[in-house]
Amino acid sequence: MEEELLDVKIDSRFVYNYSTGTIPGYFFRMLRDEARIFGRRCPACNKVYIPPRPVCGPCFRPTSEWVEVGPAGTLVAYTVVYFSFLDPMTGKKRPVPYGYGMVRLDGADSRLQHFISESDHAKLKVGMRVTAVFAEKRTGNFSDLVHFRPVED
Amino acid sequence: MAEQEQLISEQILQVPYNYSAGRAASRFLAALRDEKKIYAIVCKRCNIVYCPPRSVCGRCFEGLSHWKEVGPYGVVRNFTRVEYTEDVHPATPLVPALIELDGADTLFPHLIIDTEDVKTGDRVRPVFAENRTGHILDMAGFVRVG
Repeated sequence: MEEELLDVKIDSRFVYNYSTGTIPGYFFRMLRDEARIFGRRCPACNKVYIPPRPVCGPCFRPTSEWVEVGPAGTLVAYTVVYFSFLDPMTGKKRPVPYGYGMVRLDGADSRLQHFISESDHAKLKVGMRVTAVFAEKRTGNFSDLVHFRPVED
Repeated sequence: MAEQEQLISEQILQVPYNYSAGRAASRFLAALRDEKKIYAIVCKRCNIVYCPPRSVCGRCFEGLSHWKEVGPYGVVRNFTRVEYTEDVHPATPLVPALIELDGADTLFPHLIIDTEDVKTGDRVRPVFAENRTGHILDMAGFVRVG
């Protein structure tokens, strides 16, 4: 007799909230209310961090100043995602393929990871100029910044 | 700084996955589903009756294939009581227990359904679900017997 082999199905779902805290709170509020992107400057080394951080990594000094960055920037690394996974922001799969990359926003010293929209992915290039696309309805989280799109210089 | 609005970030992380139960657990789960019976697997060399069954003896590494029906009655050897819950978890109180099924040498983990005043040493029997799919919850859990 043929042996029956069973699968065990696990459908786990983790719904959770966390407080963004003071510094990311300001960042998300400016994103939501004004569709502007703010980084945080270290008074010792002058680096501008985006996403903003309360303390400078190399200097251990509390960051002290808000600096508006972007919305345009330079693509410094990217990939094209073909294997879909569940987005923790929405609990849904994002349609593939889509671009995902690291953007150095104008005026920032660190890089922001985000979706890169380009219907022809062969056109994506390291060093190309991109700009932020903001959501119409913004709620104070990372999806207020929908993606970056390429721009002609 | 003026009083700040604090923002909450909401996350919905989902991790659906399947794994193959393997030969031993498949036979065990199929028997729950089709016969409402609990099967253990025996290592004849070590004289150990494993329930839940496993395909290899943990002591002598012998491959196992000798099946034996155990239970359905058993004894609560250890338990805990869960009062904390979240929306995504089953309703509380939950009493997960380690049950020594009659004829088995190992402890079998499952839920005690009648959750009041559980004590180690209590005699229990399984309650089978109406709709059984080859899943460990084909046994809804165990209840105390006098």
